[in-house]
Amino acid sequence: MATRASLSPVDIHDLELQQFLEEVHSFEFWFEAVEGYLSGLTWGHRPDTPEAVLDELERDRLITVLCNYCVGETAALEGASGLISIAPNRLSKVFLATQVADEGRHLEVFLHRLRDLGVKDPEAEVERRASPSLVLFKRRLLELVAGKDWEAAIFAQNVILEALEFAVFHSHGQTADPITREVLAGVVKDERRHIGFGENEIGRRLASAPHIRARIGQVKKELDHLVLDTLADTIKQIGMPRDEQERLGRAYLESVERLGFV
Amino acid sequence: MSDFLSAYSIQSWLESCPQGYLENTVYGHATGENEPELLLTNAVLHEETIRSTVQLVVGERCALAASSGLINAAPDEASKRFLATQTLDEARHVEIFTHRLYDLGVKKNHLEDVIQRYANRNLVKFAEVLLEKVDKKDFISGVVGQNIVLEGMAFSVFEMMYAMNQTVNPKFAHTLSGTIADERRHVGFGENRIGSLIKDHPEKRPEIERMQKEMSYYMLATFADAFRNNAAAAEFDRLQEEQPRAEWHGADLSAMKPEEMEGLLADTVLKEFKTRLGRIGIEYQTPVRP
Repeated sequence: MATRASLSPVDIHDLELQQFLEEVHSFEFWFEAVEGYLSGLTWGHRPDTPEAVLDELERDRLITVLCNYCVGETAALEGASGLISIAPNRLSKVFLATQVADEGRHLEVFLHRLRDLGVKDPEAEVERRASPSLVLFKRRLLELVAGKDWEAAIFAQNVILEALEFAVFHSHGQTADPITREVLAGVVKDERRHIGFGENEIGRRLASAPHIRARIGQVKKELDHLVLDTLADTIKQIGMPRDEQERLGRAYLESVERLGFV
Repeated sequence: MSDFLSAYSIQSWLESCPQGYLENTVYGHATGENEPELLLTNAVLHEETIRSTVQLVVGERCALAASSGLINAAPDEASKRFLATQTLDEARHVEIFTHRLYDLGVKKNHLEDVIQRYANRNLVKFAEVLLEKVDKKDFISGVVGQNIVLEGMAFSVFEMMYAMNQTVNPKFAHTLSGTIADERRHVGFGENRIGSLIKDHPEKRPEIERMQKEMSYYMLATFADAFRNNAAAAEFDRLQEEQPRAEWHGADLSAMKPEEMEGLLADTVLKEFKTRLGRIGIEYQTPVRP
């Protein structure tokens, strides 16, 4: 992709709040961001990146991990798309539309990676290998979306789920085979944007309506154990040491603590 | 089915949009392109331009709500992923047409008031018929309503507007050309994906046909409101502004009266509906003419 014309020479952080949101939640901003790191990639990686030789156990573990990434990304895709109809304003709707495309892309690249690894029917494999706690998380998230509870749903989706994915993908990327590593690197860049939106949105709402804190705290309490169970399952499959699991658990908890939830 | 759907993947979308027809555009047009001075300074033309742009925003907001709402109802992953790209396309359309309103001088804090004031009530009803299906998670009716009826209408309206603006307003024509390319892809998905689902669910036909008839009526009523009460045409006559030839479907739009243009647009869209619905096994229902 060639570089597109710059939107504005003004430093984005110098803008007043509404103008800042107009910029950072726009399709144009998303477009500028992704063209920087998706340019030249096919299915999330450079076409000439070599396929590593994996033994049967490594391949099987990677397949299980990728299947669960697909569950998480499907939850994120369905969650983000459902949130568009209850988003309180146009800018949030447009941002969520960019997130929907991101989540769709993540699902697509993970499914493609499964095919690369020789999985004939990735969708059936995902169903077979899905972690029960992640499936429960997905169900609960979609209930919050269907219940049109904007604050709770955006918290579950863009803070909890995205923080979990960010922590796991980032960590897995350190030790993954070259193709998976490149795929994860692009996904992590997207997740950073999604978490930013979630924290910003929830942070502003908590500041203006502190009474919602108790309700969101309840959602966090309900989802925490599902997140930590999922984390433990995934770490085991990736083959990471136990102290890494603890570190990731802490990283996840810190990300929600930033909003004042302990 | 999976082979056909691979053409609608996000990978394909990335290759055709950001690396294709959207390259070097900002809010859908080239940097430095502006609205013509006359549209900004003539009070009648200015108001009519805002009014017509509001209808585009209303239509695209409906398309955004529908395509995102259909993701959860889609029966397979590939359709979900295509609808994810469509959701993004529709959000882009909302954004670029909203930006056109800003370019026309609408203040950001007045945006919703302006949209409420100028939104055509028949277009709103058209949207409501579709969104009711989406709310019920009725995937087949929703995709027919969205990707064949709504997108089919948008495709022809944008093409006609493009023909009218190509010479006199390159900025807006440029904006429209990107949306036309998107709509073509959306209509293609609707036709290709839904055909097999209709075959598997023939019991859905009567309901879909009723929806098409109802949406078509509100569409024609919107056209009637737009062309029959259009002050812009009278203003151009008063100014004796000579319009350059604008050819569309073999007709010169610049030489046509508003009611003739309405007839041409309505006939073109309905003919397209008939052809496309026939391809997916739905019998076209002639709507009441307003």
